[in-house]
Amino acid sequence: MNKARFSILVIAATLAACTVPQPYEPPRPTPEPAPTPGGTPVETQPVPPPPPIEEPTPLPPPVVREPALGAASRALVSQAQQQAAAQNFAMAAATIERALRIEPDNPLLWIELGKVRQAEGNYQQAENMGRKAASMAVNAPKTQAAAWELVAESLRAQGKNVQAQEAQTRADQMRR
Amino acid sequence: MTKKLKKQLLAGGALVLGIGILALLAWLFYLDRIITQQFEGRRWTLPAQVYAEPLELYVGQALGADALEHELQRLGYTRIDTAPKSPGTYRRRGERIDLVTRRFAFWDEVQESQALSVTTSRNAITRLQDAQGVDVPIFRLDPLLIGSIFPIHGEDRIIVTPDEVPDLLPAALKVVEDRKFDTHHGINVSAILRAAWVNLRAGQIEQGGSTLTQQLVKSYFLDNRRTLGRKIEEAFMAMLLELHFEKQDIMNAYINEIYLGQDGQRAIHGFGLASQFYFGKPLAELQLHEIATLVAIVRGPSYYDPRRRPERVQARRDLILKLMHEYGLIDAGQMKVALARPLGVVDIGGHGGGYYPAFLDLVRRTLRRDYREEDLTEAGLKIFSTLNPLVQSRAETVLKQELERLDKSRKRKDAKLEGVVVVTTPQNGEVIAMVGGRETNFAGFNRALDAKRSIGSLVKPVIYLAAIESGRFHAASIVDDAAIELKLPNGQVWKPQNISKELYGPVPLVRALAQSLNLATVNLGLQVGLPEVTREFRALGLDREPPQLPSVLLGALDVSPLEVAQIYNAFANGGFNTQLRAVRAVVDAEGKPLKSFALEVTPVADPNAVYQVNRMMVEVMERGTGAGARAYLPPGLVVAGKSGTSSDYRDSWFAGFSGGHLAVVWIGYDDNAPTGLTGSSGSLAVWARLMASIGTTPWSVPLPEGLKETWIEYPTGLGAKPGCVDEPVAVAIPASVELPMAPGCEPGVINSFKEWWQRFTGSDQ
Repeated sequence: MNKARFSILVIAATLAACTVPQPYEPPRPTPEPAPTPGGTPVETQPVPPPPPIEEPTPLPPPVVREPALGAASRALVSQAQQQAAAQNFAMAAATIERALRIEPDNPLLWIELGKVRQAEGNYQQAENMGRKAASMAVNAPKTQAAAWELVAESLRAQGKNVQAQEAQTRADQMRR
Repeated sequence: MTKKLKKQLLAGGALVLGIGILALLAWLFYLDRIITQQFEGRRWTLPAQVYAEPLELYVGQALGADALEHELQRLGYTRIDTAPKSPGTYRRRGERIDLVTRRFAFWDEVQESQALSVTTSRNAITRLQDAQGVDVPIFRLDPLLIGSIFPIHGEDRIIVTPDEVPDLLPAALKVVEDRKFDTHHGINVSAILRAAWVNLRAGQIEQGGSTLTQQLVKSYFLDNRRTLGRKIEEAFMAMLLELHFEKQDIMNAYINEIYLGQDGQRAIHGFGLASQFYFGKPLAELQLHEIATLVAIVRGPSYYDPRRRPERVQARRDLILKLMHEYGLIDAGQMKVALARPLGVVDIGGHGGGYYPAFLDLVRRTLRRDYREEDLTEAGLKIFSTLNPLVQSRAETVLKQELERLDKSRKRKDAKLEGVVVVTTPQNGEVIAMVGGRETNFAGFNRALDAKRSIGSLVKPVIYLAAIESGRFHAASIVDDAAIELKLPNGQVWKPQNISKELYGPVPLVRALAQSLNLATVNLGLQVGLPEVTREFRALGLDREPPQLPSVLLGALDVSPLEVAQIYNAFANGGFNTQLRAVRAVVDAEGKPLKSFALEVTPVADPNAVYQVNRMMVEVMERGTGAGARAYLPPGLVVAGKSGTSSDYRDSWFAGFSGGHLAVVWIGYDDNAPTGLTGSSGSLAVWARLMASIGTTPWSVPLPEGLKETWIEYPTGLGAKPGCVDEPVAVAIPASVELPMAPGCEPGVINSFKEWWQRFTGSDQ
């Protein structure tokens, strides 16, 4: 009984020490910080009105969140896939760029754009798009895996086999 | 007089006459050649037309009914009360807008005209359907024509084909200008005689008896002199023209050729452009009263200028409407309705083009790499640009207002402050707005591209990125803000100072950046190494390597606002470089795609290092030199940025970004005199007000793997928790780093448990 309570406390303390807020929201510590002691800002400015005092928000726990496409992007991606199938790569890329203007932070769209570049033989850009997607697909192992897969394939096509193997390993790790 | 002499005289006369006739014939032959050669090819020089980015409609788009209606009106769509049937019309019923779109050939596909029904709710589109009630996932409206690339002092025009011309226009032109047009052979003798009689009695030229054909010849081939010789030449050429060409061709040429107004250096030619210039919509969509207005202007575009002389133009318009009725073109009812309408000329600005000189200059320079100047000004190219007219107009307004406010508090009265705004969408590198000075209609010196000015503390994030990328520093590393004396190669001693002249001692990187501490930054830069720092500028997209001088660490580096945008774009884009673009694609006069500027990305910096610097730039806005922005920004809009002030307050800079937009603002004097402004007291307000007004999204990038989020004590950089130190701040640092804890914040003490409990239960206190 005592032992169990103790272990809960230990877990609690450990958790408290390593709780990680994601994605980023500005933490709102309490109490509201006082003006920097002894530290006059080096660039002077008219006194700004005091910032609105906000209640601290509880930080969300990290969760796995795979991205999904909105309806508009879905329609554009399927149009782009038809254009790419017809070897019309410039148009396909332009169509995905339209979707990216709506959802610039969606790694799935960067992967799609990378696939168009891959299909037309522009492996350098395909690789870069894959890297961009991977950097955005935090907490989304399936999407990460797809991004690294694209990177691996593009590197292989460029003859960079060692790097390709590394990327492939990352993709495989994500799938596990 | 002898017989012989008579004979000689006669022969001489005949000879002269013969030569005269020959000369006349040669001259006529020459005129004929000019006419057939030039007119047959009928190649007007067609300035390239530049379009803004089109508005995309889709469910979820943050666009309320008011905003959509505003956009439609900007595009010249006409509001009607019945169900819209023809392209370019719409009906609004509360939160719902029904419209018929215009056909438009984009570079990647042709968008046919379509009936759409848009339902909105609370500032977003909630339903988008076609006429059959079928959901439409996404639809592109026709884009706004924002200008054209015309030669200096040149003619600008939009060519229309006969089927784009409303039938009433040629009919009205004939009634008003040339009633015998359908039957005469180029000149109207009775009209000339009548005009001559009037002019003779008045003792000056009051009336011209020119036919439409003569007017066309005069505009097309001849200069503006009004001499008898010119009149004769004009008459002959008109007759020759009629000999060779059909009436329909001549009328169409007239509609595309004739001069209809002046916009600064830009001459408005043809009814196609005049329709855009005065009414902001295509010629085909003009209503009766608008057609009559354009016909009124023909007589003298500067005398009948509807913007400067509305009463005069309206009087002539009404006269024309009555003539049209008198000659049976319209019935009495139509006339009455049209007479009751106001002129309806749109405000100058945002319509017809020429109003975004800085942006169009960027477009022109982009294309000059691939095209000759003549191709741009003559070949009728269509250019699809990245300009967002809404953001552009906000940027213009905010800059103008702030400059006026700042000017009032300057001592200097002989010169006015100037400013620049550049806005991009960082993920795709598109330049969506650019203001090159306070006079946004003046196409002068393009400061956004050409004013290379000292960027001051805007260099700091680059130095901090180089430091973190070196692996030897992170956001909570301690750097010493202590006095520095450096002996330079030229023997001088360099002694930089903080602006406050104070020393802050050991401080964490996050604080050194947020408060823009000079000495801490110089110490950091010297530890990292000047070559590493200057290399970072190249990596982030500056096209030249800065000199490896210590003064570069404090921003003694001359960079244009657009170049600053390029560098900061790499931060906003998570460590990926994308060449900033103002053009998406170019098509030729027939609509064939010539060139597209596709989106390319290049990884240039470690995303984890960039994330740490970006988080530090968020703290600049939360508690550092950017904190003044909070007064303008909506709560919850997380932004990152950095102020810059050059020595002696000559340049006031602010660069920063949200989730969706990056903006760079510069304020200073053209003669490089001190302004007394810091980045925070000058440019920051422009930046913040702009960001607050364009509906941008917060910066919210998920914490990358390999980093952890942790609290530190802001002044000291020691590990901390909210509640156990006075000023805790959250930073992102590598997951493997363990920070020494501030006194009273050691793990296991009650603070951390209490904090955990608060989070666990979701309670605030």
